[in-house]
Amino acid sequence: MFADDETRSTFPGLLSDLQAALDRIRAGIAKFSIEGKIGLFGLCIFVVMALFAPMISGHPPDEITGDSLERPGAEHILGTDELGMDIWAQICYGARMSLLIGLVVASVAGFGGGAIGILAAYRGGLADQILMRVIDVTMALPSLPLLIVISAFMGPSIANVIFILILFGWARPARIARSQTLSVKTHAYIVAARNYGAGSWYLLRRHIFPEVLPILFVLVIGITSHAIVAEAGLAFLGLGDPTSKSWGMMLNYATSFRSIYFTPYWQWWLIPPLVALIALLLCLAFIGRDLERVLDPKLRARRGAE
Amino acid sequence: MRDNRAIISRFLLTLMILLAINFFLPRMMPGDPFSLTSSDVQGEDIVIMTEAQRAYYMEYYGLDRPLHEQFIIYLKNLAGGDLGKSISNKMAVGDMIRIHLPWTILIVFGATVISTIVGVLLGTLSARNQKKGVDRFMMAGLIAFAEIPSFLLGLILLLIFVVQLRLFPIAGAVTPFADYGSVWSMAGDVAYHAVLPVLTLSLTQLTGVYLLTRNTLITVTTKDYIRTARAKGLGERVVWTRHALRNALLPVVTRTGFMIGALMGGSVLVETVFSYPGLGMTLRSAVIARDYPLIQGILLVIAVSILICNLAVDLIYKRLDPRVVI
Amino acid sequence: MTILTIDDLRCHYSTDGSVVKAVDGISFGLEEGEIVGLIGESGSGKTTIALSIMGLLPESARQSGEISYRGIDLSALPEDEMNTFRWTDIAIVFQNSLEVLNPVMRIGVQVCEPMIRRKGMGSGEAEARCAELFEMVGLDPIWMDAYPHQLSGGMRQRVLLAMALSCDPKVLILDEVTSALDAFTRKEIRDLLLDLQRTRGYSMITISHDIAFVSSMASRMMVLYAGRVVEVGPTRDVITAPRHPYTRGLVNSTPDIFVYKDMWGIPGDASGGNGDAGCLFRARCTQAIDDCRRSLPELTACGNGWKVACHRGGIAGLMTARGLTFSYTLPDRRSLVAVDGVDLEVQEGEVLAIVGQTGSGKSTLAHILAGVLHPERGEVHFMNGAVHGGKAGHRFGGIQIVFQDPFSSISNRFTVLDAVREPLDINGIGDRNERLDMVRDALDLVRLPSSDLFLAKYCGELSGGQRQRVALARAMVMRPKLLIADEITSALDVSTAANVLRLLKGLQNRRGFAMIYISHDLTLTLKIADRIAVMNAGKIVEVGNAHDVMLTPNDDYTRRLVGSRIGLCCHEHHTEVA
Repeated sequence: MFADDETRSTFPGLLSDLQAALDRIRAGIAKFSIEGKIGLFGLCIFVVMALFAPMISGHPPDEITGDSLERPGAEHILGTDELGMDIWAQICYGARMSLLIGLVVASVAGFGGGAIGILAAYRGGLADQILMRVIDVTMALPSLPLLIVISAFMGPSIANVIFILILFGWARPARIARSQTLSVKTHAYIVAARNYGAGSWYLLRRHIFPEVLPILFVLVIGITSHAIVAEAGLAFLGLGDPTSKSWGMMLNYATSFRSIYFTPYWQWWLIPPLVALIALLLCLAFIGRDLERVLDPKLRARRGAE
Repeated sequence: MRDNRAIISRFLLTLMILLAINFFLPRMMPGDPFSLTSSDVQGEDIVIMTEAQRAYYMEYYGLDRPLHEQFIIYLKNLAGGDLGKSISNKMAVGDMIRIHLPWTILIVFGATVISTIVGVLLGTLSARNQKKGVDRFMMAGLIAFAEIPSFLLGLILLLIFVVQLRLFPIAGAVTPFADYGSVWSMAGDVAYHAVLPVLTLSLTQLTGVYLLTRNTLITVTTKDYIRTARAKGLGERVVWTRHALRNALLPVVTRTGFMIGALMGGSVLVETVFSYPGLGMTLRSAVIARDYPLIQGILLVIAVSILICNLAVDLIYKRLDPRVVI
Repeated sequence: MTILTIDDLRCHYSTDGSVVKAVDGISFGLEEGEIVGLIGESGSGKTTIALSIMGLLPESARQSGEISYRGIDLSALPEDEMNTFRWTDIAIVFQNSLEVLNPVMRIGVQVCEPMIRRKGMGSGEAEARCAELFEMVGLDPIWMDAYPHQLSGGMRQRVLLAMALSCDPKVLILDEVTSALDAFTRKEIRDLLLDLQRTRGYSMITISHDIAFVSSMASRMMVLYAGRVVEVGPTRDVITAPRHPYTRGLVNSTPDIFVYKDMWGIPGDASGGNGDAGCLFRARCTQAIDDCRRSLPELTACGNGWKVACHRGGIAGLMTARGLTFSYTLPDRRSLVAVDGVDLEVQEGEVLAIVGQTGSGKSTLAHILAGVLHPERGEVHFMNGAVHGGKAGHRFGGIQIVFQDPFSSISNRFTVLDAVREPLDINGIGDRNERLDMVRDALDLVRLPSSDLFLAKYCGELSGGQRQRVALARAMVMRPKLLIADEITSALDVSTAANVLRLLKGLQNRRGFAMIYISHDLTLTLKIADRIAVMNAGKIVEVGNAHDVMLTPNDDYTRRLVGSRIGLCCHEHHTEVA
């Protein structure tokens, strides 16, 4: 019964705190620089492309709808690949794939890792010690070579790629959330609140989450970029899911095509996924930089010290 | 001393985990790693194994024995420098690595030197002209570079300098079947082929070094000890070189160490872009051919060299910065 | 001969739109072999002066005025020529901080560096000299091989001193050299510096907020406030009889000078300016007048090389009494001279205690000063008007008196409201509501409740301590310039007395009024008094700074008074009079 009361009284509390955090982010966005706004605008375009891919692509991405290696024209605005599939459709569906991977990896690794870090720092003790060792080792492991080898062994599938990226991605947010929580914990206002009878849940949601969340948001954007790059890199090496349409796979197919550089095909086969990837990454970088600058000017220094 | 021990024990722990991953990965796969070769549907590059080969690998990995014995065999083989035999071209993995590793070391080393030197120079220039035109221009330009992943940057450079301008060779580390008149012409040819991979790798690391140098220098110049040095009437040049740069370079040294690790990893993709015959390219062909012994061997070499670089940084930093408790 | 002259030095920092005048028109000269002290709170511009002499101000600072060293204007020199003067002619001992020494260089190297590069010494010679310097400042030369972080704060300060001495400069600037040090080290460093000045003839500028330290070294002292000099003069004079209210506040805040007194800081914060042309200290001053709002006061000479920048010519006199005499006629017609030719001065904002045993005439004196008793001879002037015949107690900003016995000074029949409102009612000040507000404010001031419930209470229901506070509130409601407190705590128990006394001193400190505190209890008065007048048989036998009177009593009677404290069982009685 007591537990019920607790949940009832604190759950809306958490929502309102989350709301407050989101409001801070929204207020932050209002203070974005030109680059930040460009980034946000660009990201919105990619999101629209991903959401409405079937409607705007014109052709299905995985069916032969034209001749092999058609030049861009009225029917296929970006031309076709060697199998005669529409490039523009592949770009649209590729946005879906990149954003999906970025979103899943970043939210699971970022927020999950963050939660682990907060809890470990909050509880302290042996669990925290063990976690620190695990984080140390995970961060010391060279991620890219391991990514390549693990995906080589586990077989090419999107789920595997996401799983591996999460496996290597959670350590950094966990570490930063942990150190941030530890520094919040040393403040006298935590001691004071405890003295007033505040429970763990109250302390976490009133004092710790608001301090750590903005940093996690910035990290999540970084992880998103990283995940998109990693997926594209793996696909480029031939370790992507052959049944999926991703920009990395397009790059892989295009560069594996013999003598692509001695023909004009690269102009419409290689350039579009290249440009799309760079544009998306730059947008995310702009947003991340501005978010970091706006949310907390001290944040950079803290991360530097970390 | 105690700290050193902590660093080394972390290194050993990480190394063990790496070895364990390397050991268990092939064994976690459904069936055994060698049945896959005959039933795999993907691609035409797959080499179908003969029964004799199959028997060799079963023997080499001791796959018919209990797991702990397998692990001991694995460690024993490693200790003896035996990484097994490549499936695709029947060479010993160790030999293949010996052939390809120098090329990777060449471009990684080149990129490390170039990005460190250029980054420090540009960073110093930027810091001394803080908030002026030069500084702002460099900040904007270099930060954009930092956000483009290495293999995309490589592709762009390839399209511009090779495909459009035809300034550099499209593949390889040397001109095939070339007859060099002297050591110098050979060195020239090697350098010529290495330009683009080195440039790509350098550009990806340059921004980091540049920003680090610039920001540390700017912080350092506001420190009290710089004022103390000025008060002593030592002159601008001495103040900058003896007092400011010396402090500012500490983090750069660390960065350089970690950079070697990052470049070893990044070279896999960049070598692929430029078909540069280093370890990365070899890894890629091994991946395509599902040449597991080769993949594992290369992974081990790359990962261990990254770990050693990080270890070296941790140990060296303690000697460079007297503030770190010894 | 003057070795260094600063003429109209100004350093302004411009930070996004606003200009901070860190130093604003400072001039002084440093004689050869002299030690000049610069005193001020943090932010007063002390360190800026030091840095501008060294030519080390950051680029954001705009500097004007002349800094001339042996006739050469240093401020006009280009950087590389300035370098020929730094360290070899003028050196600075920086305030010890964690990063004042380069963290990655051995300290020996850092100390030798200027000798090698500036004096052209070989490294062996420099190291030998460095070891000598280390010995001199009391450091073992083995520390030359240490890194800065391995040293304690005191040791680092010694290194900085050794470094400053390395090129044998003519002028040494000491910037807060002792503020991070413990008492022993502080004294050692002080002695070392004085020794150096005597034996080597260094000229020094010592900068600190530590008055005790500066006053023990400097022959002349400058007091800085918000980038301007408010007072300058011979150290002994400035410390013992400060002319500027700010200097007095600093002196009063220094525990080393007033050993027995409680510390009371200057209320308010140092401000960079009020945004108008007026005196910068105005907001914290106890004696501001209209002129202070209009213009900045200039430094004006007041004899003996002593200058003060104040529109009122320094701390102003508030009350002067000349030749006061009063005698009572006893029942047997003999007359008893209670007050016998007393001269007395009270200054703005000070606490003067009149101490004496029962029957010494101090209460009578208090009543005369308050104007409630007419003297037989002599007169009392308050703010340039005679007290008697004038109506000093009838207006705001006048004299108020609080009496010894709270039970007799306030009527039992009055409610608290009536009692406190009485002076307002009597003098017809304000309308009903205004009076009520003033009463509530006064009650707040003396930490009594200002609720309607309390206002409606009869004074008869209150305890002694509460009634004394009500009496205090009644005095405060008239916003006095001078408060005379006549034995106000003697009827109260120890704890209540302590509370009332602290309250009174706190009020005085915040409100800035002057106070005459009458008591027979020397120990108690030492807690709050700036000056003490000792009274015996109707005469004032000794007047002086509270600490002087206590530590070095001149008069026999005072000596007996000081020695008459009983002391606790654990005190050694015979050492009381020392």
